Amino acid sequence: MTEREFRTVGKAVRRVDADDKLSGRAQFTGDMSVPGMAFAKLVPSPLPHARIVRVDAARARAMPGVYAVLTADELVNMETRYGSDKKDRPVVAMDKVRFQGEPVAAVAAVDLATAEAAAELVEVEYEELPVVSGIDAALDWRGEPVHESNLCHEYGYEWGDVDAAFRNCDRVFEDTFTFPMVYHYAMEPHVCIASYEPGRIRLWTSAQHPFLVQAEIARLFRLQLDQVQVVVPFVGGGYGSKSYTKIEPLVAALSREAGRPARLALSVEEAMRTVRRHAAKATIRTGVMNDGTIIARDCVGYVDTGGYTDNGVRVTERLADRMPGPYAIPHVRVKSYGLFTNSTPAGSYRSIGGPQAVWACESQMDVIAHALGLDPFEFRVKNLVPQGEEVRRGKRPIEGDLEAALRSVADAFGWEASRERAASERTSGPADGGVKRGVGFACAVTNSGASPTSTSLARLHADGSATVFIGSAEMGQGSRSAMAQIAAEEMRIPYEKVRVVASDTAAVPWDRSTGSSRSTTLMGLAVQGAGADIREQLLRLAAEHFEAFPDEIDAEDGQASFKGETVAFSALVREMFGGSGGELIGRGYVTPKHPSGKLRQDPVFWEVSIGAAEVEVDTATGEVRLLRYYSVSDPGKAINPKQVEGQDEGAAMQAIGHTLLEEMLYEDGQLLNPNLVDYRVPLFTDLPGEFETVLLETGNGPGPYGAKGVGEGGIVCVAPAVANAVFDATGARVSSLPLTPERVWRALREQQDA
Amino acid sequence: MLLAQESGAAALYAGGTELLLAMKSGLLAYDALINVKSIAGLDAVAADDRGVVIGASATHSAVERDALARERLPLLAEVEHSVANARVRNVGTLAGNLCFAEPHSDPATLLLIYEAELDAQGPSASRRIPVGELQTNSYETSLAPDEMVTAVRVPPFPAGMSGAYSKFGRHHRPTLGVAAAVAVEDGRVADVRIAIGCVSPVARRLPRSEDVLRGERVDGLAADAPALREACRLAAEDADAVADLHGEADYKAHLARVFLERTLLRALGRNGSGGDA
Repeated sequence: MTEREFRTVGKAVRRVDADDKLSGRAQFTGDMSVPGMAFAKLVPSPLPHARIVRVDAARARAMPGVYAVLTADELVNMETRYGSDKKDRPVVAMDKVRFQGEPVAAVAAVDLATAEAAAELVEVEYEELPVVSGIDAALDWRGEPVHESNLCHEYGYEWGDVDAAFRNCDRVFEDTFTFPMVYHYAMEPHVCIASYEPGRIRLWTSAQHPFLVQAEIARLFRLQLDQVQVVVPFVGGGYGSKSYTKIEPLVAALSREAGRPARLALSVEEAMRTVRRHAAKATIRTGVMNDGTIIARDCVGYVDTGGYTDNGVRVTERLADRMPGPYAIPHVRVKSYGLFTNSTPAGSYRSIGGPQAVWACESQMDVIAHALGLDPFEFRVKNLVPQGEEVRRGKRPIEGDLEAALRSVADAFGWEASRERAASERTSGPADGGVKRGVGFACAVTNSGASPTSTSLARLHADGSATVFIGSAEMGQGSRSAMAQIAAEEMRIPYEKVRVVASDTAAVPWDRSTGSSRSTTLMGLAVQGAGADIREQLLRLAAEHFEAFPDEIDAEDGQASFKGETVAFSALVREMFGGSGGELIGRGYVTPKHPSGKLRQDPVFWEVSIGAAEVEVDTATGEVRLLRYYSVSDPGKAINPKQVEGQDEGAAMQAIGHTLLEEMLYEDGQLLNPNLVDYRVPLFTDLPGEFETVLLETGNGPGPYGAKGVGEGGIVCVAPAVANAVFDATGARVSSLPLTPERVWRALREQQDA
Repeated sequence: MLLAQESGAAALYAGGTELLLAMKSGLLAYDALINVKSIAGLDAVAADDRGVVIGASATHSAVERDALARERLPLLAEVEHSVANARVRNVGTLAGNLCFAEPHSDPATLLLIYEAELDAQGPSASRRIPVGELQTNSYETSLAPDEMVTAVRVPPFPAGMSGAYSKFGRHHRPTLGVAAAVAVEDGRVADVRIAIGCVSPVARRLPRSEDVLRGERVDGLAADAPALREACRLAAEDADAVADLHGEADYKAHLARVFLERTLLRALGRNGSGGDA
C-alpha cells in the first residue's frame, strides 16, 4: 500500500480554543459560579514552625454572614491527610504548622469581604519552634525536626567500580552548584469550587490531574469514585503547580462544614505559599583522562522539599537520574536526598529535578573542558552516549542520535564562528571594564516520568461529525487541538468536524495525568486507538454497503469509496441503525502492554534538550544580557509544529526566570518577596534578540506517528548555557542561580583577586 | 476639608498604583479613599513665570506626552516615558509618586536636579516645599496629615545646562537612579547638579561630587580623569547605600560610582547640542 499523506497531522492548524480564548469567552474556574456558593478565605500561619496550642474560631463563627469555619477539629468522619507519595499533608494544620502561610483554618461566608474579616477573628495560639532554613540547616539539625526527621526521601544507584576508577584517571574535578527556590507563576493562581452533598462531591478546579484529584477526594471522604466528580475547565497555566491535589480537600471539607458550595481563589501571594520548585544543591566529582574521556562520576544532590513531601519523592529521584548527564560513563555513583525545611512545600515544576541537575552537570562540563583546553562542544560530543545504548543502566536505551542533534543546534547557532568572533572581540576590546561577549552550550536527556496509562472514547455522530473524550487538562499547551488532529486523521474526517470534551471525570474516561510531557504521546495513542476503532467499524459498514471486503474500501474526508462509488460516513451510521440517528463508539486503551510494544520499558521516552547562548556581560555592573538563544525540540513527529515551537520557546522563556531573575527569598522562615513586584518573572523585554527553536523530527517516539513528548526539554539547558557563556566572556564562574548582576559582579571581583 | 475630617482614616487616591498594592497586601487600611481625580483642572500642565506647573492628578503619560513639558523639560519627559510600565504610567501620577515616598522612584531623584517645588494646600494655608524636603524617610513625608500636594513646579534647566538620567536594576522598581546636569562655559564646568536615588530610603543631591567637578576643564573629563574619579568615589560614599532586596550596600555603592561616571559623560555628551536633554 502506498503511504497515505496526512491531512491534519503535521500541520499548524488553528487551535480549537483560539476563538474562545482571544474573545474572552473561554471559561476558567474563576469565571464560574454555583448557586448558593460561599466565598472562602484562608487563615494562614504567620509562623514557619510552631506547635498549635489553641484555635478559637468562636468570634469568627458568630460574625453575621459567616457560614462556617473549618479547623482541625472539624476533620472528623474523614481521612485527614493526603499527598501523592506520602500522605503527610493535613487538610488544615493539625498539631503544628510547618511553613509560613500554612492554612490553620478557613472561613466560608456570604461574600469575600465578610470571609476576610472573619478570618482575622480566628485566634490561634502558637508555641514557636526553631526554624529549619535551607538544605544545610536541615542536614545539620539538633532541634525539633520538621517531621519525624528532616529526611523526606533518599535514592541512589551505582555501576562500575567508582572508587578504583577515580584512582586511575588523570584528573579529578569536584564542584558544587546551587539552584534557588522558584515559583511557577501560572497566571491563574489555584482556584476551586467544591460542592459537598451527602454521598456526592462535585469539584470545579484548576487541576492538572483530574482523576488523581478524584481518587484523593474519594479516599479522604470515604466515597466511591463514581460519587466524586471533578471538572477542570480551561486552566490558566499549570507548569506543575497544579499537579496532584492542592487546595481541593480543604475546599471540599469547608463545603461540607458550610452545608453549601464553597469557592476558594488564591492570590499570587497565597499561591507562592502553596507550591514552588525545589531548591537544590549538587556536588559532582568527575574523573577524566587528559584526552577528555570521562571515566567516572560521583554525584551527591539535595533538594529542599519544604514543609511537606508534595512531589518531593519523585523530584529527589529524578534529580539523581539526571545528574550524570547524557554521557557514556563506565563508573557512576549517584545519591540524592530530599529534605524537609520550614518553607512552602515544593512540588512538580516543568521537568522535575531537571534544571537543578543539568545546571550542575553542564556547568561542570565547561569547567573541565576549560581546564583540559578542549572546545566545550567537542568535549561533550566525545562523551555522548551513542544511539541505542543505555544512558542509565536498566533503563530504555537512547532512541535518538544525540551527536546529530547537538551538531544541528551548533550549526544553526554558528557555534564555532560565534565563539571565535566573541574571543577576538574580547582581545581587541579594553583590558578591564567594558562589555564582553561570550557563548555557551549545554545538553541533556531527561527521562520522562510519564506513566503509560490513558483511555479515550470517540463518538462518530450521525451527521459525520465527531466528539472525542479525553482526560487531559487544557492548560495552554494545546492538547485539545492536537487530540482533534489525531482523531480527525484516524477517523478520516476533517479537523473542523471534531469536538473535544476534556477533563470532566463524570463524562470522559480515565487518564492518569497531564504532565511530564506525556499527553500527545500517551493520551494521543489512546485517541489514535479510539479513532482507528471508529475507522475500522466504518470500513466494515462500507464493505457491507458495497458488498466488498473492508480492505478494498478507501476512506477519506468523511466518505468511503469503492470502485468509483462513494458513500458518506453519516449515511453508513444511519444505515447501521436503520433510521435517522445513531452513532459509532470507538475506544482506545493505553497500558504498558500496548500492542506497539513501545511502552514496556521505563522511561516511555527520553526528552532531548540542547541550548546554545550568546551573552553580553557588562563587567562594571555584572549585568548579563542574553543576546541569542537556540534550543532544540525533538517531538519525534510534530503533530502541530507551531505548538511544538510554542512549547519549546515558552519553556526556554520560563527558564530565563531562574537563570537571570527569579529567587524566592526567605529569612527566618519568612518569605520576603511574595509578590510579582519583588519576585520578578521574565517579561517580553527580557526575550533574547534572536530566539530560535530547531525542530528535529526523528520519528522515533512511542506516540502516534512516532511522536514523543516535548514541553519540558526547553527549560533545562538555559541556565548552564548562559552561565557557560558568562564564563566564556569573562572567565568568571558563577555557581549559584540566578545570575543576578550582583552575583556576577562578585564572581568577577573574586576572579580578579585570585 | 475631607482629609482633615477623616483624621487619618482616609487617604488621597489619584492613580492608586502604589496605594492599592499596599492595601491589597494588607499593609495599609483606610475607611475611605478621597478621589482627587474628580477635582477639575488638577490634571493641567501649564506654564508659569519660572517654568512648568504640573497638576497633582497629571499622570506620568500625560507629562511624557505634554507639548509644553517636552519642549521645556525634555529630560523629565524622557524619564517619565521610562517609569515602571505602560499600565502604571497611564494611571499613576507624578505627584502621587512623590507623595507615596516609595524609595525606588525615578522622578524623586530626577526632580532634585531640576530643583522643583511642590504646592501644598492645607485646610487654611498653602505653602511651597522644595522637592528635596518632601520625603523624610521610606514612605514618610513632611506633609501634615491634612495637607495635600496640588502641583509640582518644575523650572527648566538654566540656559546652557543639559542633563541625563540613568537607572539600573532587574526588579520592576529601579535599584539605582542617577541624575546629572552640567552647564559648560569656556570649556569648563560652570555648574553641575547631581542626584542619586533608590539606593537609600531618600533620594539626595551629592554636593561633594558637584564641588569637585565645578571649574574642571570639560575636554579633560574622560572616563579615567582624576576629578571624575574623585566625584564618583565621593558619590559612592555619600549615597549612603543600604542593603535591601535589591542588593547589598557595597554593591550599590559600587553602582553609584559606575553610573555617576556614565551619567555625567552622557550629560556632557548632550551638552554640545545645547538643549536640556
